[in-house]
Amino acid sequence: MNGNLSRAFVNRRGRVPHGNFELYSWLFMRISGLVLLIIAVFHLFYMHFAIGVDNIDYDLVAQRWTNPLWKIFDFFLLLFALTHGINGLRYIVDDYVHKPGWAVAVKSFIFLVYVTLLGLGAYIILTFQFTPESVQAALP
Amino acid sequence: MATRTVYRRGVPILEGLRYRGREGMFAWLLHRASGLGILLFLALHIVDIFLMAFGPEIFNELLVLYHAWWGRIMTVFLLFGVLFHALNGFRIIVQDFWPKLWPYERQLIWIEAAIFIPIFLWGAYQFLLPIFEH
Amino acid sequence: MKATFRIQRFDPTKDKKPYYREYQVELDPTDRVLDGLNQIKWYQDGSLTFRRSCAHGVCGSDAMRINGANGLACKVLMRDVGEKVTIEPILGLPVIKDLIVDMEPFFAQYRSVMPYLVNDEVPPDGRERIQSIEERERFDDTTKCILCAACTTACPSFWANDQFVGPAAIVNAHRFIFDSRDRAARERLDILNSKTGVWRCRTIYNCTVACPREIQITKAIGEVKQAILYGETTS
Repeated sequence: MNGNLSRAFVNRRGRVPHGNFELYSWLFMRISGLVLLIIAVFHLFYMHFAIGVDNIDYDLVAQRWTNPLWKIFDFFLLLFALTHGINGLRYIVDDYVHKPGWAVAVKSFIFLVYVTLLGLGAYIILTFQFTPESVQAALP
Repeated sequence: MATRTVYRRGVPILEGLRYRGREGMFAWLLHRASGLGILLFLALHIVDIFLMAFGPEIFNELLVLYHAWWGRIMTVFLLFGVLFHALNGFRIIVQDFWPKLWPYERQLIWIEAAIFIPIFLWGAYQFLLPIFEH
Repeated sequence: MKATFRIQRFDPTKDKKPYYREYQVELDPTDRVLDGLNQIKWYQDGSLTFRRSCAHGVCGSDAMRINGANGLACKVLMRDVGEKVTIEPILGLPVIKDLIVDMEPFFAQYRSVMPYLVNDEVPPDGRERIQSIEERERFDDTTKCILCAACTTACPSFWANDQFVGPAAIVNAHRFIFDSRDRAARERLDILNSKTGVWRCRTIYNCTVACPREIQITKAIGEVKQAILYGETTS
């Protein structure tokens, strides 16, 4: 962005220049927040009021995923909600965990949890196959 | 400098909470708390949906999470968290990208509350209704 | 009016941790909290220690927590705080004695944003740098800062982590970033774009409420964020 000034900054203050990571992170929180404002609130209200919690079971969710549009919707909900949430957690760690070693350890652990949860969620949403036989086979 | 050696990093959270802040501090606290709560629920939700991979029996058994009375109370908290986090986040985004509104943060928070309370009360009533019907 | 002052005391040579002591003072409702503190120090307990200098809200020495919220003792009237007043030092800076805190970390953050005019060019007429009324108006609000630290020590982000540069330093960076005579805006924006810069601000507004000079601090921080985001300082 401003290479000369970054160097001047290092010279003057003896610190390493930083990228724009925190800027993009801040921007991401706002953009994903707007997306989630629509899809997460829609998901919550749709499942509770349009469908009703009592009507939710294996067959209903499986049936729902026969439509690829719902798969895409659920995948983006997972991606945005989890990334937004984990980045928020990173903010809290940046605020309250002061020892550099600890901060790295905690953030590595959080990243591991992020990858695991994203993997589990994406796996079931994207690879789930609903066939009547599979239901039949599972029944006694 | 000698005083630097006694320097303490960070104010204990409880001491910070004793500060008499206004609407903005209250909104920030709730935003953090609700964000953490939603993230916790999201982790649980991802795992329970993942269990669909193991077939209908386990999954249907697990749905007691949402059908039992305590599960319904949990979803009322979830509704509170999601709704508040969404509205408050929207307020922050609107303020961030519409600088003219910066001086009117307190009024915006009261508008936010006026939108939040009726939707939440109506939603919570709907969520809890089945408990009393059984 | 008879007022009860409950003051947090701490003497590093005797006390392991801070404690509270109560004092009764006879005051007028139009007296300031500072008048109460002076009465206690002059007539009741000379060991009570606090900073004050001009006593008229300009020097910025006597910022403290008054009934749990930051303010200048010389600007808060007794009739606005009532008969029971709790006085504590500002949060997030190490207490040296009673209400006096070590301001050095605060000033270190202040110095880190280059709070001085940078311009190596020769002025157009060789003598002065002319500025229009509008150009001066652009940063008028942030010139009012008296460095009392009421804003920075009211900020939950600063409480959590003192590596955060804090509202006061951003206000003073803003004062030069938007000054048409200054040439180091990019450099300051780069400093404030770091991990400990403006992005730690969560728009909580405690700083704006605490400011005894009524500077729109959160607005100033927002303008700095916009300048970094859009890469311009003219708006």
